[in-house]
Amino acid sequence: MSEYLLEMKGIVKQFDGVRALDGIDLKIKAGECVGLCGENGAGKSTLMKILSGVYPHGTWDGDILWDGKPLVAHSVRDTEAAGIVIIHQELMLVPELSVAENIFMGHELTLPGGRMNYPAMYRRAEELMRELNMPDINVALPVMQYGGGHQQLVEIAKALNKKARLLILDEPSSSLTTSEIAVLLKIIKDLKAKGVACVYISHKLDEVAAVCDTISVIRDGKHIATTPMEELDVDRIITQMVGREITAMYPRRDHEVGEIVFEARHMTCLDVDNPKRKRVDDVSFSVRRGEILGIAGLVGAGRTELVSAIFGAYQGRCEGEVWMNGVRVDTGTPLKSIRLGLCMVPEDRKQHGIVPDLNVGQNITLTVLKNFSRGTRIDAGAELKTVNEEIARMRLKTASPFLPITGLSGGNQQKAVLAKMLLAHPKVLILDEPTRGVDVGAKAEIYRLIAELAKQGVAVIMVSSELAEVLGVSDRVLVIGEGKLRGDFANQNLTQEMVLAAAINQSPQQRMHIATPSAA
Amino acid sequence: MTSTISTRNGAANTTANIKQLFSRYKIMALLIAIAIIWAFFSWKTEGGFVTPRNLSNLLRQMSVTGILACGMVLVIIAGEIDLSVGSLLGLLGGVAAILNVTHNLPLPLNLVLVLTLGLLLGLFNGYLTAYMRIPSFIVGLGGMLAFRGVLLGVTGGLTIAPVSSDLVYLGQGYLPASFGVALVVVLFVLALALTWRQRVNRTRHALPVAPLWRDAIKVALIGAVLLAFVRTLNSYDGIPVPVLLLLALLGLFSYVTTQTVFGRRIYSVGSNMEATRLSGVNVQSVKLWVFGIMGVMCALAGLVNTARLAAGSPSSGSMGELDAIAACFIGGTSMRGGSGTIYGALIGALVMASLDNGMSMLDVGTYWQMIVKGSILMLAVWVDVSTRSGR
Repeated sequence: MSEYLLEMKGIVKQFDGVRALDGIDLKIKAGECVGLCGENGAGKSTLMKILSGVYPHGTWDGDILWDGKPLVAHSVRDTEAAGIVIIHQELMLVPELSVAENIFMGHELTLPGGRMNYPAMYRRAEELMRELNMPDINVALPVMQYGGGHQQLVEIAKALNKKARLLILDEPSSSLTTSEIAVLLKIIKDLKAKGVACVYISHKLDEVAAVCDTISVIRDGKHIATTPMEELDVDRIITQMVGREITAMYPRRDHEVGEIVFEARHMTCLDVDNPKRKRVDDVSFSVRRGEILGIAGLVGAGRTELVSAIFGAYQGRCEGEVWMNGVRVDTGTPLKSIRLGLCMVPEDRKQHGIVPDLNVGQNITLTVLKNFSRGTRIDAGAELKTVNEEIARMRLKTASPFLPITGLSGGNQQKAVLAKMLLAHPKVLILDEPTRGVDVGAKAEIYRLIAELAKQGVAVIMVSSELAEVLGVSDRVLVIGEGKLRGDFANQNLTQEMVLAAAINQSPQQRMHIATPSAA
Repeated sequence: MTSTISTRNGAANTTANIKQLFSRYKIMALLIAIAIIWAFFSWKTEGGFVTPRNLSNLLRQMSVTGILACGMVLVIIAGEIDLSVGSLLGLLGGVAAILNVTHNLPLPLNLVLVLTLGLLLGLFNGYLTAYMRIPSFIVGLGGMLAFRGVLLGVTGGLTIAPVSSDLVYLGQGYLPASFGVALVVVLFVLALALTWRQRVNRTRHALPVAPLWRDAIKVALIGAVLLAFVRTLNSYDGIPVPVLLLLALLGLFSYVTTQTVFGRRIYSVGSNMEATRLSGVNVQSVKLWVFGIMGVMCALAGLVNTARLAAGSPSSGSMGELDAIAACFIGGTSMRGGSGTIYGALIGALVMASLDNGMSMLDVGTYWQMIVKGSILMLAVWVDVSTRSGR
């Protein structure tokens, strides 16, 4: 038996002659958790696709030893049989099926005649849930009845049911709330104690620091360093990842905050499927010219619903008034909103942000295409000029504006979506999770851009699940909990604990002092 | 006519986009497939297939499917489908015949009325799909039945004939040889000018420019194809009127899809409707007008069809939707929407027409023709799907 459960040696992967991975080494012992860190596009996902068999043996160079023996995998099925299971960032669950059915998907227990052996599956699923300290989950209920955190645990249960010895978690916490993350990290520690090895990939470095024993950093497809966690801290991981110090990650600077330019009054949104349930319940707030308003809250609190309703993109029924510059305006559709100078960068980049069949430049000019219209045709020269200006301004990394947008990293796609909305000259800009799935370098640039916009007098509304980000960027912080406004704080001496407490806090007596500038 | 070339050319050498490179190779593959089909039929018919007379017929037969495919490709790029076009074609062709035979309406008025009716019915389909949110598949299925029913009702199940000679000219007429020569000269000069302008523009914007020899070969090839095209047709009776119409549509629609705001929005809506809506585009209106255009194409196809047959028949245009949809998919239009080209769809229509024509010449039974066409459609889509996932 080898000392290591897994050894990857000199892994090289090329795409069209470009080296995405250039001699990567990775070693994992049983019961060890390795944090794999690197900016978006560093090659983390590619490496994990090789490990999990998505890229079959032979399409890359190098060796993988599993239990000291060479691993030759032709598909995900082979690696799963060996005990390597990957949990993707986007959960692979069927929402309509029950928890147990999802856990057993592809490995269903059957009775004679191909009938599903529900009793046995429920028993085993319940056993797994107990093992994960989630005994109160009803395994017969559809997965969609549970929140993102529980769904993540169902994924882990599914992996454990496959007798996973190595669990790869790709950004497992991106849609989890703080309390759910704590549960997840605890479960990973329990699994470690049972001898299960983990690869943990996350941009949230404090989680990586909390759960991992070893940190491997890759940058531009190259292995940079593998260091025991006790010799590291978050700042030093970041330094290794980007190869440079990030000094002013959050550019808090003084800027002029002017008069109230935007007001939302009594916003109420009903659930699309269940109209009796209020996703947003009578929320009112205002934003001033040049102000950055952070909206914090737990995932599922109704923040996205609130801003979508304001922008006219909410699918269900909603009520409320939107006022701009003291005049009530109609923001019933995104088109109307954008014409009024109210723009939104949506949360889900893939579903709502990019248009995959258009190239980078065409994505950027989507909002203002009419401006390039000369007679019947598009003035390609003028369009290209604007696109190039935006690419330069956003520091968007692409070899050419004519490349497909799907080839860009998450951070650069986000910059393109941002550029698209900025071209519409917003007076009020809503950013819903603007840095989700974005690498550290691009994050800093997005913060710089937000600050710049505020300085130019744009009122910015930023929804974010990262408390550090909310506190680092905002002038004022709004806290939403269960669809209700739970707090409105000036960002002075405000701590993460205070915001979190307001978000979780349910009793009105204990509500933090509310400092609403707009007299309600 | 000017636009005819702008597209041929524009489509062939636009950007250095990888995707377009890919689709360009696919078009090469299609052209090779056509060459093989033609070679096979020529061999089997001992050269009868490639006589000027037959090629002229082939192009005329292709025109109805081609006109429909021009509209259908927009519908599919926008992420929808329209199954009602065969029946709508029949209905509008029937209406044209009735107006012509029974009411003796002058041709220009007849054209205006039929085209307007086509636009309105297309917009109606579009309204049901875009605003009433009925899936286009169902709207098409319903229209397929309903329009055919209306046609049977208004014709009483009888063939309406004979239509006047000026209407017949639309489907059976030929242009004088001198016109063909002039057309080729104009198109060639345009190809030359557009290629040159593109080179100048790309240089001005510091974009990579294709080597001069490659552009030269390309223009020479275009010239050769144009020359062969007009020589072949002129050695029979000249360029058929519906073929000229198809060429004009190829130019117009290629221009719309590649050069205009509306065209860009069709791709955008089909590729990601939600992202497009959130970018402030009125996606419903885009879809509405795409269906409106489809309706106009049905009217044109119906007119040409009635003119070709010199009669309005209650069964005309049946299965037309399948030919048009197959032409789009064979021509590389993506089933999920968001990508596709006009020239691709027309090459697809040419494939379908060649199979029809060749098999008829060989006296292959109708049932075999259907089996072969169905198989070719599946083959084309399989090739598309397998090359896509491989990337």
